[in-house]
Amino acid sequence: MSKSFRPDVDAPEWKGGHSPYDIIKEGTIALVVVGLLTIILATLFGSPDDHEITLKNWANATPVDFATTAINEMNGTTTTAGYGAPYNTASDGQKLGPLTLAKWAGVRIPVNTERDFVIRPLESLPYNAQLSSALTTWKSASSSQRTTWVNNYTKADAKLAYTNGQVVSTATDAGPVPVFINDLTNMARSGALDTALVSGGNFFSTDYTKPLLFLSDGSYLADLAQKQHLLGSQWGMMNETNSYPGQAWLWLYTFWYQVSPFSTSANADVQVWATMMLLSVIMFLVPVIPGLRALPRKLKVYRLIWREHYRK
Amino acid sequence: MAWISFLAALIPLDGLGHYLHWGVIDISVANFIVILLMIATFVAALLLPFPGRSRRKESK
Repeated sequence: MSKSFRPDVDAPEWKGGHSPYDIIKEGTIALVVVGLLTIILATLFGSPDDHEITLKNWANATPVDFATTAINEMNGTTTTAGYGAPYNTASDGQKLGPLTLAKWAGVRIPVNTERDFVIRPLESLPYNAQLSSALTTWKSASSSQRTTWVNNYTKADAKLAYTNGQVVSTATDAGPVPVFINDLTNMARSGALDTALVSGGNFFSTDYTKPLLFLSDGSYLADLAQKQHLLGSQWGMMNETNSYPGQAWLWLYTFWYQVSPFSTSANADVQVWATMMLLSVIMFLVPVIPGLRALPRKLKVYRLIWREHYRK
Repeated sequence: MAWISFLAALIPLDGLGHYLHWGVIDISVANFIVILLMIATFVAALLLPFPGRSRRKESK
């Protein structure tokens, strides 16, 4: 017995007339027209490059926020310090259910926030007797002693102030930490910290991972992003600065971040990625998915395009 | 290219953006216009007659 007729795959061969169609000509015209439109529209509506946001900008605009973030880099409570892979082993990182994907990929860009954001940059400064003594004290201290100093400074961080070019803290028994935070803040205000954190050691280095991580740990960058409607919770992925049109085609990707469970999940990045991959696979497999593959036949949009033919 | 700069100056985009809110949806006016234009282009592609169709008819 023959199988039942499947109109979306078993359609009979077309026996009617044919019309000539020059696909090369149409493709060339489309390429030229779209190319010209792209150049003109990019010139008219392409957003200008904003000036880069640096640690220098941040430390000059809000030195107390910078100093507070610096002590949080030392006590390990910043986002970077607790992120996990690819920066450290402080947590499992992004997980998809039981699959610890980030952990499996491992620590590819090792970042120890205390060492890389505070101690090493300070070591790169020109000789300064007070700082040199503070660094020596720090290196010779035990791990528990360092933790005590950092915790004592952290307890007083709500009362930090920046006065007459100095970070002023009410902390007691904080060892060399007040010197570190003060010198790091002034180093950042001079612009030297931006240079010290750009890794690679080459003149033309373009690896801004560390300064960007440090910046994102404070509230300065997030405040600027919020004003421009660029936060993830503001559909920021598809927005541009000021009133320029942005990446409207990312609407679906950023949509997931606005709705539960993604909007409240600590693993939203990998969950949204997995959702989009699943939808992409479904779209790729449309020709072999029963029901979905019949949609063009059922929606009959083709009858609208070829309406003259179907009118006959 | 001076005429392009002149055209660009007609549409001031350097001020802070304006946003439209409907429930969970939060979209900039600029992106909303772009999406409307994309939909209009799609509908036009469906409804406008194929160019050259009348010429082909005449030659038949």
